[in-house]
Amino acid sequence: MDVLLAFSRLIDAINERLGRLANWMVLAACLLSAGNAFSRYGYSLSSNAWLEIQWYLFAGMVMLGSAWTLNRNEHVRVDIIYGRLSTRGQVWVDIAGGLLFLLPAMLVMSWTSWTIFHESWRINEMSQSAGGLIRWPVKLLLPLGFGLVALQGLSEVIKRVAYLRGLINLDLHYEKPLQ
Amino acid sequence: MIPLEWMAPLMFSGLIAFMLIGYPVAFSLAAIGLFFGFISIELGFFEPVFMSNLPLRVFGILSNELLLAIPFFTFMGAVLERCGLAEDLLEGTGQLFGSVPGGLAYAVIVVGAILGAITGTVAASVIAMGVISLPIMMRYGYDMKTATGVIAASGTITQLIPPSLVLVVLADQIGRSVGDMYAGAFGPSIVQTLLFALYIFVLSLFRPQWVPPLPIEARTLRGWPLIRRVLWGMVPSVVLIFLVLGTIFLGLATPTEAGAMGAVGAVVLAVLRDAAFSRFGKWCAGIGFAALIILLVPAFALWKDEWFSPGLVQSAQAFVDQVRGELLGVFYVGLVVILLEAARITRLRGLIRQGFESTMRITAMVIFILIGSTVFSLVFQGVDGGKWIEGLLSGLPGGQTGFLIFVALFVFFLAFFLDFFEIAFIIVPLLAPVAQKLGIDLVWFGVLLCVMLQTSFMHPPFGFALFYLRGIAPREVKSRDIYLGALPWVGLQIIMAAIVVFWPALVTGFISKAETQDPSTVEIILEAPDNSQSPPAEGEDKKDEGQGNAASAADDPTAEIERQLKSGR
Repeated sequence: MDVLLAFSRLIDAINERLGRLANWMVLAACLLSAGNAFSRYGYSLSSNAWLEIQWYLFAGMVMLGSAWTLNRNEHVRVDIIYGRLSTRGQVWVDIAGGLLFLLPAMLVMSWTSWTIFHESWRINEMSQSAGGLIRWPVKLLLPLGFGLVALQGLSEVIKRVAYLRGLINLDLHYEKPLQ
Repeated sequence: MIPLEWMAPLMFSGLIAFMLIGYPVAFSLAAIGLFFGFISIELGFFEPVFMSNLPLRVFGILSNELLLAIPFFTFMGAVLERCGLAEDLLEGTGQLFGSVPGGLAYAVIVVGAILGAITGTVAASVIAMGVISLPIMMRYGYDMKTATGVIAASGTITQLIPPSLVLVVLADQIGRSVGDMYAGAFGPSIVQTLLFALYIFVLSLFRPQWVPPLPIEARTLRGWPLIRRVLWGMVPSVVLIFLVLGTIFLGLATPTEAGAMGAVGAVVLAVLRDAAFSRFGKWCAGIGFAALIILLVPAFALWKDEWFSPGLVQSAQAFVDQVRGELLGVFYVGLVVILLEAARITRLRGLIRQGFESTMRITAMVIFILIGSTVFSLVFQGVDGGKWIEGLLSGLPGGQTGFLIFVALFVFFLAFFLDFFEIAFIIVPLLAPVAQKLGIDLVWFGVLLCVMLQTSFMHPPFGFALFYLRGIAPREVKSRDIYLGALPWVGLQIIMAAIVVFWPALVTGFISKAETQDPSTVEIILEAPDNSQSPPAEGEDKKDEGQGNAASAADDPTAEIERQLKSGR
């Protein structure tokens, strides 16, 4: 169990770093997009590369940030029943869901999206727009992101099993995201 | 062996069962979709190649420029809700309307609408208004149920009033442009605000003791200080609203760009309001805004050229041509200085950081639900789920109206336990094709859904607005008051839904109007000195929007493959 917990801590640490990176991507995308709009309307300066970086950053914040969001327990749930369960009940739902839903689904997604990355890498795919960017880095984000979420899911399961055995304390508080 | 006709109902009930367990929706959706996908391949309902569309679909979501507006609007709201704007607005308008019966309630409604147009989160509006206005209302003898009701209801206006996130998400799902969706929601959101105000007016006639005016000694501000207070809250808000909505409606900016400019505008606003804003920064900001105004005055003359003499218009044109670049440069430098101030002032740095951190998590969460529901609906369509739903719904009596009433009721009940993301991503793709077949304008359909989703924030005991209000209301406010107080407002929202169902022109009327508005005349302002460069601005604009609104455009080839595969099975 100690080995598993160490593994879980390693995953958490990696995904926290990537989550921070994803945080900054929000700010970067925002400034870039506004700057782009200002330069386009002010000076008619624009290029497809700048437009494309925006959604590269968007893909980055989603695919790199999702695992950290899972760690923070901020993926939305339907809590009409979950909210009434005991803590142990909630932990069991999370373990079962993690093993039966999250892990298989994310592994399949990661594996199938690897093919589109690989294809893009093989043919050195470029954007179809003039002056656009090379495509494989953003396509790599798909298998990478799903893989990271799968790893994080595993880490969450490990932590919950350890919690049930009384090995660690865990903050299991769940609150719906503000809307 | 399971026959094909059973697959769709099985999948749908599986979805409901597994979502109710309470595991995060995004992953449950993906898992159910993939599970049924593999069963279908085993049973030969479609080829394995069918599933290889999945990564392309996911890539289509991530490269969809429209969805980029989600983090921008979220970030804008996150900054604004923390910078004290709501407090200024509420105190100013409260004092302004204080002397009439129901004045505080009108102030809450007006501020709810303004906050709705700039922040877009129900939680922020309800919490701000509950913290500031509720104690004042209680102190001066408002009926408790009316006070809590008006605050919770005004907080939910934000869902319907552009630029709400719900509208962006719905626009993406029904495949119409965000601009159309905003234009469509414009009329209903105004009518709703008026409806709320009308209710308070009726109360003040028949139950004046429930909504008393502020006594004279409570109206501390008056004359110039009062006007200044009101303007200090209103003017920046109105400028921001124009920056975001005006540019979209006039076709100057795509929703994504407008969102980004709005977010930058929110940071600028937060800096301007901060006490630590340096003298140097103030000078730079002042010069920057002055440059912008010098440019905007002649630009206005060019826009409304029929109002002015030809000679004046000509000289305005010459002036704009000559100094446009320089003046804008000065303005941009001013903006950069303000943004640097934001990075310098510790309090603001923390605020902005919190803002983008929560924005990242909300974005990742929303987009993952969208990815999960894409997996689900790809397989669901593959097993002819669309036909199943259509068969269920085509038997409804009453044609268009019957269908819309059904949808409204359906969403009303779903909203007891689902959030709007889930409804928008799962239910809308199922219902929208049926609506289209019945000849229902999809914007009309979307706006109706939005009104119904709004009620979901209000109905006791799960309504979110009530939940937030409970969280911050003083102890002497009973939960019973909050729940009972919400009921008349739920009623008003249902009346609103009925208005939308029976008066479609309220929605569609604004769309055509927005479209006929002068893209050519507006162009003049934007025309660069060298004309050769400028047309792309407009063209690109359209292209961006097109790319966004037809979310399916990206995966058109995919759809083609799907069709072929399905026909060949």
